[in-house]
Amino acid sequence: MSMNTEAFAQFREGVNQLPEMAPPPAQMTDQQRVQAFKKTIVESIKAHQAVGLETCVHCGMCAQACHYFVATGNAKYTPIRKLAPLRRVYRRELSPMRWLVRLVTRDITAKQLEDWQELIYDSCTECGRCSLVCPTGVHIQDMIVMSREALANAGLAAAELRMMSTEQGEKGTMFGMGKDTLVQTIEQFRQKGLEIPVDQKGSEVLVVSSVIDMFLFQDTLEGTIRIMDAIGRPWTYSTCGYEGANFGYMAGFQEYRKAASMRVIDAAIDLGVKTVIVPECGHAYPALRWDGAAVYGKPLPFEVLAISEFIAREIKAGNLRVKPLAEGKTVTFHDPCKLGRMGGVFEEPREALDALGVKISEPDVNREQSYCCGGGAGNFLIKRAAPLRAQVWDKKRQQFDRTGAEAVVTSCDSCRINFSVGAQDTRWDKPIESLAAMVGANLAE
Amino acid sequence: MTLLDFARGPALQAALMIFALGVVWRAVGAVLIQRTTDFSQPRRGTAERVAGGLRTTWSRFFVSEALEKRIHFQHIAGALWHLGFFIVLLLFVPHILFFESLLGFGWPGLPNPVILVVAAITLATLLAVLIRRMTNPVSRIISTTDDYISWIVTALPLVTGIMAGAHLGLRYETMLALHLLSVALLLVWFPFGKLMHLFLIWPARYNVGALFARRGVRI
Repeated sequence: MSMNTEAFAQFREGVNQLPEMAPPPAQMTDQQRVQAFKKTIVESIKAHQAVGLETCVHCGMCAQACHYFVATGNAKYTPIRKLAPLRRVYRRELSPMRWLVRLVTRDITAKQLEDWQELIYDSCTECGRCSLVCPTGVHIQDMIVMSREALANAGLAAAELRMMSTEQGEKGTMFGMGKDTLVQTIEQFRQKGLEIPVDQKGSEVLVVSSVIDMFLFQDTLEGTIRIMDAIGRPWTYSTCGYEGANFGYMAGFQEYRKAASMRVIDAAIDLGVKTVIVPECGHAYPALRWDGAAVYGKPLPFEVLAISEFIAREIKAGNLRVKPLAEGKTVTFHDPCKLGRMGGVFEEPREALDALGVKISEPDVNREQSYCCGGGAGNFLIKRAAPLRAQVWDKKRQQFDRTGAEAVVTSCDSCRINFSVGAQDTRWDKPIESLAAMVGANLAE
Repeated sequence: MTLLDFARGPALQAALMIFALGVVWRAVGAVLIQRTTDFSQPRRGTAERVAGGLRTTWSRFFVSEALEKRIHFQHIAGALWHLGFFIVLLLFVPHILFFESLLGFGWPGLPNPVILVVAAITLATLLAVLIRRMTNPVSRIISTTDDYISWIVTALPLVTGIMAGAHLGLRYETMLALHLLSVALLLVWFPFGKLMHLFLIWPARYNVGALFARRGVRI
């Protein structure tokens, strides 16, 4: 089981064309950009973030946690520096000492915001490793998310993410694929003899997918379907809420973020499900699991699980039986940042791998401390960030090599794409596999 | 009124007033900024979130093993100068007598020669930290005027204290007055610059620990 190589080549070609295909950025004057950025920050900063900003001692330890700094050695990638425009706005507009700060500092400029676009989009994947090490407790990741929102409102989102968000927000498709692609893909799988319920009211579980799986990772999709079929609990896809990816959430476009989340939330409520399964799509998990309730405005009336959580839970409960893989196979598991460090899903994928009888050889840093793949938070689509990603891949490749594992397993499409690009470009020959695909392909009779 | 009378009288009193009001103003002002309710289903209960916050408040004194080899200097130098500063501040007998006059009780101190050596080591560490800030590319790119002012106002009481204690430079009474004035300067600057982390570091660490614990992440 692996990804479709022809589709992968097409995908890479398509991604390269995204900047040219992007709609033009909002026409705004410099002053309007600055005002939009400031307004977003002033309206969004919370007490815990303010306390963090007041506490920073400029020690620079966060640099040593950032994969972009570690891979390049370039000080401009120091995480706390990426927050400079946000901090300036906070200090001048909200800080208790703002009356003094205004006397001794200048306001941010549109030029500064343009310069920071690269630092907020190209060289930060919101992986949260900086928040993990800050000795004063600044949650930097949290405020990078806010900085993206402020830049998006200032008309300065990265072109590729602007393209994807707009397409998803306005047409409901991504890379030109949408509901029709889902229906066609399901039909293909049905021809293989798989039973796939669609829009079944009264189902217990709604499985959300991703066009990335439909296009690139059909092994993941098939694995998920086989797993659901084997468990035998009433489940369904929805032709309304089928897409887990949320580019508005990644890029910082609030309107598109809410629209994408509400499609899934409305579908889940309409179908009356108790559980929504998020696909192997890194940011789809926080978008629904942690941010969904904020969009909905109250607690969600269903639970949200990553597919890896669901698999482990069902194996433990005895509802899902898997057969062991060939004896002696050693794999390493890459913790996707959005599921692991930012989501708390660490042991579940390992429990699933244990059930498959494979030996897990851990990278020297793993779980909470795992290094990012280098392409999260939509970075894998940003063309000009490719050289940076290549440098991060080099670090990850060395890490994987040290494990001596025969294959890399992960449960995030972005990580898998990023590793696959790196492996292809450096002729690295170890397979990069999906956990759901692996489990789905090894179900006990 | 002599310089010493001015330093230990009105100067110190005014500085203490600015310090107290400034600290309260800044801390309360930051804490009172808007809060929102997180409606997402937490992975951990309240007790575990509180435990997570408290654990992070403590664990951030140490650096995680995976990163230790890369940040030896900041970690050791940071710990050393903070420790030295508080030993000198709290265990030098004349300082204890000063606190006793304010609080009504005292505590045992360290012999003066020991304090002098600790103060010298602390000052040397501060110098090393300053050199690093000015030469290390990461430190340099993120440094602000606040970093240098805070360094100066922190180093001055050590310099003047060592000189007064070792009877160096000007006559003792003048050095003592300069020492007290440098302390007043430190107190005045405290609420305006990064020295405020002495108070805000605790809620900041707690918040980040509790937020991660809510998601089931132990940091």
